[in-house]
Amino acid sequence: MDDRKRLRKKNNWFRNNFILIYYSILILINLNVMEKISTIRQVVTCLKSFLLLFMLSLTITTAFGQGRVITGTISDALTKETLPGASAVIKGTSKGISADVNGKYTLSLLPSENIILFSMVGYETQEITISNQLIVDVSLEAKRVTLDEVVVVGYGVQKKSDITGATIQIKGTELSKQPVMTVTQAMQGKVSGVQIISSGSPGSTPQMRIRGTSTLLGGTHVLYVVDGVLTDDITNVNTSDIVDMNILKDASSSAIYGSRGANGVIIITTKKGSSKSGKLNITYNTNIGVRQAANLVKMANADEYKNYYQAATGNAITGETANTNWYKTILRNAFQQNHNLSVSGGTEKATYFFSGSYLNDEGIVLENQFKRITLRTNLDFNISKYIKTGIQASFANAVNENGFNNLDIDENGNIGGAFNNAYRAPPTISARVGDKYGNVSAFNGQVGNPLLDIQNNKVRVAVNRIQGAGFLDITPVPYLTFRSSLGADLVFRQARLYDYKFLNDESTFDVAGGNQLNSLSYLANKNIQNFKWVWDNYITFTKAFGKHDIKLMAGTTAEKFNETWLYGSRKDVPADPNLWYLYNGLANSSQNDGKGDIWTRNSYMGRLNYNYDSRYLLTATIRRDGSSRFPEQNRWGTFPSVGLAWNINKESFMESQKLFDILRVRASWGIVGNDQISTDAFTNTVIPNLAYPFNGSASSATNGSQINQIKDPNIKWESTSEYDFAIEFGLLNNRFTGELNYYNKNVDNALINVNIPSTVGDADHVILTNATSIQNTGIEMMLNWKNRVNTNFGYSVGANITLNQNKVVGLNGGEPIYGGNIGAAQGFTTLTDNNHPIGSFYVLQVLGVFQTDQEVLDYKDEKGTVIQPTAKPGDFKYLDKNTDGKIDDKDRDFSGSYQPKAYFGINFSVTYKKWDFSMDIYGNVGNQVYNGKRAIRINGKDNIESDLVYNRWNGVSNPSQSQPGANTGNLLASDYFVESGSFYRINNLTVGYTLPAELLAKLKISSLRIFATGQNLYTLKKYSGFTAELPGSPLDSGIELSSYPTTRTIALGLNLNF
Amino acid sequence: MVMLLVSCSKSFLDVPLQGGATTESDPDLAQKLVTGAYNSLLQGDSWGSGDVHGFAFVSVTNIASDDADKGSTADDQKVPVGDIDDFNLTATNKFAETLWSGHYNAIGTINQALLALSTANIDNQTKSRLIGEVKFLRGYLYFNLVRMYGDVPLVLRVPTDQNDANSDPAFQTRAGKQIVYDTIVADLQYAVNNLPVKSASAIGHANKGAAEAMLAKVYMYLGQWQKVYDLTHDVMISNQYSLVDYSLLWQQKGDNCAESIFEIQTGSYNNSNLGISNYTVSQGIRVGGLGGWNDLGWGFCNPSTDLINAYEPGDLRKASTIIQIDNSGTYKGTILWDGFRVPSKDSVQNLYYNYKAYTSSSKETFANPDDKDRPRNIKILRYADVLLMNAEAASHVSQDMNEPLNLVRARAGLLPISATIDAVWRERRVELAMEHDRFWDLVRQGRASQVLNAAGKHFVAGKNELLPVPNSQIQLSGGKLSQNPLY
Repeated sequence: MDDRKRLRKKNNWFRNNFILIYYSILILINLNVMEKISTIRQVVTCLKSFLLLFMLSLTITTAFGQGRVITGTISDALTKETLPGASAVIKGTSKGISADVNGKYTLSLLPSENIILFSMVGYETQEITISNQLIVDVSLEAKRVTLDEVVVVGYGVQKKSDITGATIQIKGTELSKQPVMTVTQAMQGKVSGVQIISSGSPGSTPQMRIRGTSTLLGGTHVLYVVDGVLTDDITNVNTSDIVDMNILKDASSSAIYGSRGANGVIIITTKKGSSKSGKLNITYNTNIGVRQAANLVKMANADEYKNYYQAATGNAITGETANTNWYKTILRNAFQQNHNLSVSGGTEKATYFFSGSYLNDEGIVLENQFKRITLRTNLDFNISKYIKTGIQASFANAVNENGFNNLDIDENGNIGGAFNNAYRAPPTISARVGDKYGNVSAFNGQVGNPLLDIQNNKVRVAVNRIQGAGFLDITPVPYLTFRSSLGADLVFRQARLYDYKFLNDESTFDVAGGNQLNSLSYLANKNIQNFKWVWDNYITFTKAFGKHDIKLMAGTTAEKFNETWLYGSRKDVPADPNLWYLYNGLANSSQNDGKGDIWTRNSYMGRLNYNYDSRYLLTATIRRDGSSRFPEQNRWGTFPSVGLAWNINKESFMESQKLFDILRVRASWGIVGNDQISTDAFTNTVIPNLAYPFNGSASSATNGSQINQIKDPNIKWESTSEYDFAIEFGLLNNRFTGELNYYNKNVDNALINVNIPSTVGDADHVILTNATSIQNTGIEMMLNWKNRVNTNFGYSVGANITLNQNKVVGLNGGEPIYGGNIGAAQGFTTLTDNNHPIGSFYVLQVLGVFQTDQEVLDYKDEKGTVIQPTAKPGDFKYLDKNTDGKIDDKDRDFSGSYQPKAYFGINFSVTYKKWDFSMDIYGNVGNQVYNGKRAIRINGKDNIESDLVYNRWNGVSNPSQSQPGANTGNLLASDYFVESGSFYRINNLTVGYTLPAELLAKLKISSLRIFATGQNLYTLKKYSGFTAELPGSPLDSGIELSSYPTTRTIALGLNLNF
Repeated sequence: MVMLLVSCSKSFLDVPLQGGATTESDPDLAQKLVTGAYNSLLQGDSWGSGDVHGFAFVSVTNIASDDADKGSTADDQKVPVGDIDDFNLTATNKFAETLWSGHYNAIGTINQALLALSTANIDNQTKSRLIGEVKFLRGYLYFNLVRMYGDVPLVLRVPTDQNDANSDPAFQTRAGKQIVYDTIVADLQYAVNNLPVKSASAIGHANKGAAEAMLAKVYMYLGQWQKVYDLTHDVMISNQYSLVDYSLLWQQKGDNCAESIFEIQTGSYNNSNLGISNYTVSQGIRVGGLGGWNDLGWGFCNPSTDLINAYEPGDLRKASTIIQIDNSGTYKGTILWDGFRVPSKDSVQNLYYNYKAYTSSSKETFANPDDKDRPRNIKILRYADVLLMNAEAASHVSQDMNEPLNLVRARAGLLPISATIDAVWRERRVELAMEHDRFWDLVRQGRASQVLNAAGKHFVAGKNELLPVPNSQIQLSGGKLSQNPLY
């Protein structure tokens, strides 16, 4: 040891000891002060003095530094929020410091000290080797949900390592980076077992199926629990306000929600203020972007159309000179923007969180616009050691103008019709000639001018919603907590439709005639109001006895829903929007209607969590549910569940191994129910207003009623029992984590409409009753690899896949169920029958195309009957499945279903210095789509898709066996229209850059990240239509009629923290 | 608190159904159900839940007969209407199915009304009148059923639930034609005994004259001619009915006129049209993609050349029955009674249309004149029909045929003739053309095969007199429901 080194060591010793002594004095002083504290004021004074001393100490410490002084900011890697209180400690020493309120730290390093450990509760510790730099900004990565973290379960929280069922958590930060309106959309591809079928239409909610389709006619809504309030609609929740979502996938986790749990449960927790830093946090997030249609179908242009029409009919179209691309006419690049501002903070006694957001999405169809404002406040108070209380309240105002769906007043708004018409309208007609519309219907007969469709009706739906919940926690003794919480949800929905007056004359159109006219203007209003409250009361008992941990929960909930709606319409209302009130309409044309609905639920529930030494875990729940929607004898149902888990990694024999950080197996079983049926399902009601005009046209009719339904007085819940087995692991310091699940889900007593003889006097000839069983079995797998290579570079890759098999197993009500009736010559297109997936396509099988007249004559059955005697060359040759010598509905066969065999997600993320990059891929495989819009072509003058013009069978020049010759439509339902629905898509791609802290310090900004994001950038699909993602009811999903095309969005945004 | 919830939970879950009246909650129910039973006559959902007087009814009566051709374009509704027109139909024919279900839907509402009337708190006179009215309707509906299908299930009560419906053979098996006719006669006889005459009853309601005329027609199908003669004679001397200007019969001006005995009423309700779905629009004039004017309908049920040739020269009825499209090449078009000009053949799909289904948006009153399916009353029984039944019965019971027949001829601007049974049949055809009786008349007269095959159709004797029993219903009954011969 040379002199210099010795000297340095001495200095070190001196410095270290000085600091030790100094801190000891400091702590003693403070302890003295602390003892005397009795008022809040004194607390503050004490804190102030402590802070002063603390700052002083920093100065002193720094002053004693002999080596380098390193400063920097510690922040969250993802949100870029600074992390006050995070610690920076020199490795191998006890020297360290906490970051100040702005997340800043200053550390003096001796020349020998060159490694700093940065850490914070809830974050991964980061080790940084210091070379020459004096400013070291560090961003810490939030810990993935590891097994020691607490997750929200129904009516309580649990450590992840104690959970015995299949639940998955997604962090809000992972979801909020996508420029989408609802959080459901952002979940796509993130978790296994959850299929999201998205819709591009502004303001719409994507459809979600958790572990397959488990109902035919019952409701398919997933249950959302937003801060304790049960709802099936979360369009009012701003994604930025969400902390996390917990998805309860199996029956054992969701059984605590009893009759509500069959379609899965998602628990959403919104942000709260934090008392940790004592600092007021202000964040502002925004993104602004442009949307466009992602996958348009190329329609024939005028020449192609004329060519095809002549080939199909033998008549030429002459005199029409226009060449209109109708999609181009009605679509646009749409502007969208989203702004979120939140303020949060708190003290030991109270924490607060306020947020406001504004979202504006123009929609890619002309005149469509969706706007939403949300406000939220979450407040928590620690009244005393024994009493806590809190309140959460949100307000949302959403206005959807000329939307596609989601309109109670008119199922399709104006866009549904316009979209359909844009597909069918001939390109030879002009959209507009001067100030007049091209007259499509005068030429085509059945289709109107889509541009006029859009501009002629105005639909506006405004929803105002107030949702809130308050709770009171009383903890008289540490092991006992009583909680009472009351939630309420109030929704006002106002829909308005206005149709302008226009005639089929030359003041509107370039040529007169046709069927597109509206001789009197029309105004309709529909107002819906519903109110729901839910009141939970439960006691939680938690106690450990040696190695035994016991947690007991018991409680009740009660719930009431109340809805009324009122509808009115009049004709001949002036065109000025300021006059769009019924008052201005023709009173003699008035129509009105209104109704209401009330239902209630009452439940009792209990749960036992037991674990022995954190190794053997048991969860048992039971819930008894009563619902007013069922007849008295079937009103109550009991929903039990049990789950077991074994944390193998905590066994003594695992201590010596270094490979597994986590290794656990679990198994569970449970029963959940679905009570989503209409309130009047078992009560025989009178149908009013079946009037009869006894005096003929001379005067108005006499009111009359009918009883024309027979009902099942014994209707009951659909109940789902499910087994789930899983293995979870974490390897290599939890760098590699994953889980594998197997589930088997059986729905019994599923509701179906059983056909009854017409003679019984039931107008729809069916009775809704519990008469079938459905099975879903599947495997889910999730794998994540995560590595921080060095200070500058880290990455992660995650993948998940779900394989699901759905089938109807006990259709014991007799007849299979037909669905998907799309009209035209097609009739029904799906059949739900035993041993096949729900809603399987059931159509004729195309064998090929008749090439010659001789081939038509040669196609005979055994008896020599020509099977398709009226066929021409170019027509399809269909399989005569039942060999009866003719082609009819009895020759149909199963042709796949809309339910994917597998769906998956792949997520990448990379951080390099101040850059971050992420990419999400989603795909599904093995599902089929019915090209309904192509199938319902019933008018030879409807346009066709461009490729059909070229690929059509055309005698010897194109002897196709797969495409028919030019035709005027009205083709039979066949597998020609069934196409593969498999697709892979880059859902999201984001690149972000965080500005250096020094730059921002002057502006008092703690962090600023700018990013560019692309949503739905690229889709690889086989399907020829707009999109293979087609929401629908269980019996007729996957049929594309006039779907809103998926949209692609490019957006720029920033995350700003003060 | 937990205890509190437990104790109140029963009443908390007993929520009365909102907004859906039940049999207990509406004291005026019985009378409303009678009106609702009349409403069931308006069913015309021919491809869906049920049809009584809609397009399916038009098809199996007019289009199946030699009075009318299918119409529209060649391919349009080839199945099921083309099959009905040419007797190519099978047991899966949709219209044969919806007519079956529509009639039983209507009978169901009547049985519900009868059930409610049996306990209703109303005076006995009103009660027996209301029972008479719905029994009249039930008699008429079974009369249609027995003419369409022969033996049919005889449902005369309301099932309590689906188990009852599946266990009582009444719902699943066919009663013999004779038993069905006995029930029809009993229902109509009750109506004859309990209903007031036309002038004493409200417009549109079934009355004594309607019941007598309907019963007379039933007896005509049963060949009980003395009863036909007596009942029609009763109607003729009741002083309630007379013949009116033929051209007015199918205009609003002729609704419930002196000639009307029983007609399906249409009009408006809640500022909307209230009529038989698809009755007028299915028979309206079709553009078929030609020219630039607005379709009036789908263009079905075109009067046949056979019918056109059946009129004697000078018969005033022809011009009121058939819209003839101008095919002369002069492009004058056709001016209808209300001044509406129908363009010439170059703009119109077919040559002939049913004038009796034409409605005028300018000269008639409708709640919604834009609707192409504008309501039109249908006369099920009118005085001319009674006169012709009387004339036909007279030939069997050796009474005077000439007077009733020539009353009908005189109104049509034709000279009196000396009546024969053939003359009555010919008169019946042109007088009641497109009024839904022709096909059943031919079957009743035993010459359906001869006449229809002569008209170029492929009628199979012993089969096509009746419609097939719907295959779906046979399947639902587990095979207990039998099929008609040769289907």
